[in-house]
Amino acid sequence: MLEFLLALLTTATVALLLVPLLKPRLTATARLDNDLAIYRDQLAELDRERAAGTLPEAEATAARVEIERRILVAAEQDAHETRREQSATLQRFLSPALCLAIPLIALGIYLEIGRPGLPSAPFVPHAAAPAAPNLADEIAAAKKNAAEHPDDPEALSALGEALTMEADGVVTQPAFEAFTRALRAQPGDARAIYYLGLHEAQAGDSPAALKRWRALEAQSPPEAPWLAMLRAEIARVSRESGMPVPSQDQVEAMGRLSPEERQKTIRTMVDGLAARMEANPADRDGWLRLANARKVLGDNPRASEAFAKADALKPVDGQTLVDWAEAEVRQIPPGMPPPASAVKVLERLEKAEPRNALALFYLGAASLASGDKKAAAQRWKTLLALLPADAPIRAMIEEKIKETE
Amino acid sequence: MNSRALYLLPLLTLLIMAGFFGWSLMSGRDPASIGSVMVNRPAPPLNAPALRPGEPALTGDLLKTGKPVLLNFFASWCTPCLAEHPLMMRLREREGVTIIGIAWKNKPEEARAWLKKLGDPFAYAGTDFDGKLSLDWGLSGVPETYLIDANGVVRLHYHSPITERDLNETILPLLRAGK
Repeated sequence: MLEFLLALLTTATVALLLVPLLKPRLTATARLDNDLAIYRDQLAELDRERAAGTLPEAEATAARVEIERRILVAAEQDAHETRREQSATLQRFLSPALCLAIPLIALGIYLEIGRPGLPSAPFVPHAAAPAAPNLADEIAAAKKNAAEHPDDPEALSALGEALTMEADGVVTQPAFEAFTRALRAQPGDARAIYYLGLHEAQAGDSPAALKRWRALEAQSPPEAPWLAMLRAEIARVSRESGMPVPSQDQVEAMGRLSPEERQKTIRTMVDGLAARMEANPADRDGWLRLANARKVLGDNPRASEAFAKADALKPVDGQTLVDWAEAEVRQIPPGMPPPASAVKVLERLEKAEPRNALALFYLGAASLASGDKKAAAQRWKTLLALLPADAPIRAMIEEKIKETE
Repeated sequence: MNSRALYLLPLLTLLIMAGFFGWSLMSGRDPASIGSVMVNRPAPPLNAPALRPGEPALTGDLLKTGKPVLLNFFASWCTPCLAEHPLMMRLREREGVTIIGIAWKNKPEEARAWLKKLGDPFAYAGTDFDGKLSLDWGLSGVPETYLIDANGVVRLHYHSPITERDLNETILPLLRAGK
């Protein structure tokens, strides 16, 4: 029915347009016909006047010649204008062409942008107006919901998100507070973590934001819907803050590798770092990074080497010293006392942390090996006192203390 | 001979212009930077009515407390101010910096609503509705930020929203050194 009405409307429109075109055209009164009619009148008048005797014969002849001359000029001009007549040919084809073109163009436009049931688009722009109240409504609803459920992480996150949208994507202080509460109510809430990271990035603390986001990326299941956006944001903030970022391709390539291949790739990267360190041996942080990477890969001898290099630039302390000592003692074959190089590191560790179990245990063995039974017993007894009552290693240490007696 | 030398003039002009453009490109000069005449001079007067009702009007004494302060001109209609706002909040919340805010050519009620929506980083807030105060400060628009040291001397003047880099590499080290 609707289609029929549309067809009817089209036909009516086309018909209206065609009426003036199809109307039998008024016979074009060419200028020559007008002119000739006038001149004929003039000649007739001239004859009348001459017959009445009001015009002398000589003047009448001059006037006639003049009129005839004008007739000739008019005929000449008309000869130039005849080519206009080809427009008549155009008019003959214009009507059928328009008959076809108008419906075809209309159909083309309709097929391109139209569809049945498309809401009307009046010129008065009240289409834009409803968007703003929608956001305001959403914020009001989120606020109400959060007020009613002050401990519901979902409601709090929704509130924070609405407040952020209201501020054109800036995580405002109220939004920040909402997300903080949401995260407290539900640790690990991805939405709250994402926006808190965004807040840190906007507040000029990109390292904190990236750390938070990378942790979220690591804990997200691989099919999590937010991962794509999260990675894009990580890349953006890294770029803007000028931090090196492994490209998405690199990360994905790593994910596709088998565990063995991944290990191999990591080793290649660590070897690359080692090569850079040979070229730039004064970079203490670089040596420490290399040492940690080697230690994680289980390459303890070379980890110890790297620690020693860093130590030579500036003595290491704290956790780094502990890591170094661990790398040293892991090289000791079972049942053997630690070598001199390890003893040196362990002694430094013991000096820094007199109650470090690792140092006490291995330095005890070193003392025993060098024949200082008293020192060995003292260290192991200190260690025994530090261990919890049910530690399985107690028996072994008690055994060793007996050996020293 | 004389007239022939005249023909060389366009070429000479071209060479001079090319030289200037080449120098501009190579010298690393930033044509967008307009510099500031305020830096390293005593701060201009700061007399402004308070933005928040019930607070005393702002005076120049606020700039001579023996502690460095930041002075930030903002407006609720200014989008870069919105982008800069979280940095201001961080300076206030995490670094404990005293920030004086001036709402520039901004209706006080609109500025107050803006601060209510986003959070208020300003220890003191004033209003400069007619823009008279900002003339003394050489303001070219909003947002602009000044760092005034403990002795009331302007040390930094940003003509643009402050960025993470400005904050971490310039503003915070200076503030820490000033305390």
